[in-house]
Amino acid sequence: MKKILIVDDQPIIRKMIRLALNDDRFELEEAANADAAYEIIKRSPPDGMILDVMMPGLLNGYQLCERIKQDPILSYIHVVIVSACGQESDQEFGLSLGANSYFVKPFSPVALATYMKISLLGSAL
Amino acid sequence: MNQFDTIIDAELWDKSPWGMVAIDVDGKVSAVNSSFQQYTNISEQALLGMSEADFDYQLIRTNLIAQHRVKMTTGTLRAVHYLRYVNNMQDELKTAEKMSNIAELLREPLASIYGFAELLLTQHYDEQTRLDLTAILLQQTEVMSDLINKNLEARKD
Repeated sequence: MKKILIVDDQPIIRKMIRLALNDDRFELEEAANADAAYEIIKRSPPDGMILDVMMPGLLNGYQLCERIKQDPILSYIHVVIVSACGQESDQEFGLSLGANSYFVKPFSPVALATYMKISLLGSAL
Repeated sequence: MNQFDTIIDAELWDKSPWGMVAIDVDGKVSAVNSSFQQYTNISEQALLGMSEADFDYQLIRTNLIAQHRVKMTTGTLRAVHYLRYVNNMQDELKTAEKMSNIAELLREPLASIYGFAELLLTQHYDEQTRLDLTAILLQQTEVMSDLINKNLEARKD
């Protein structure tokens, strides 16, 4: 069982991603902002994280990604940024912080689910 | 102005020709300098406590563009937006920046519409779930339509 943390301030986006990742091999958890996500990660680190960028709170998605990837204990977490910040420079910045992939909104939830299966389970099926 | 002492020189804040708006750690407008009020005719009182997202929308409505956004999480501030009054919205660069902000606002409901439509098309759900997801599609279409209408109204102002 692989644990995935879905971090987005829009409940409707979290619901959509949860539906797309509906699979017995995934355990899903949600956070409405990066601060809450960081608390969850410290308590119970996930295997993967789907992370929005622009959210209310002290940390934004970029900062949380950077914090995780710079932590030797947490850096294994597979981070996928999913953001409305869609310019090439935004994507380059997110990847430079260590994100494993960057999906621009609007995105295909089916493609995201396939990507997470390949990345965490080793197979698209 | 004490909250800015460690970050921004108080004299700079008061006398700068640049309009400046500070966003506090809770993501709310916490201070507005006099240049900003002079340029925009928007009082500090009208902006204090406003969320950063609403402030961004206010900028679009008033045909203004934040020239620099200095993001910080030091002390009590999360960000300072430096703003220069833009007279001529025909300036291509400024227009492009404005369009970019609008595009980012529209991407959120568009993501829901695209995503739920794809799930409805490719996954097998029971009838009640299909109805629920279709309702979300309609609701998000209304959100998007509302954003577009507000933006068109702002352009008429």
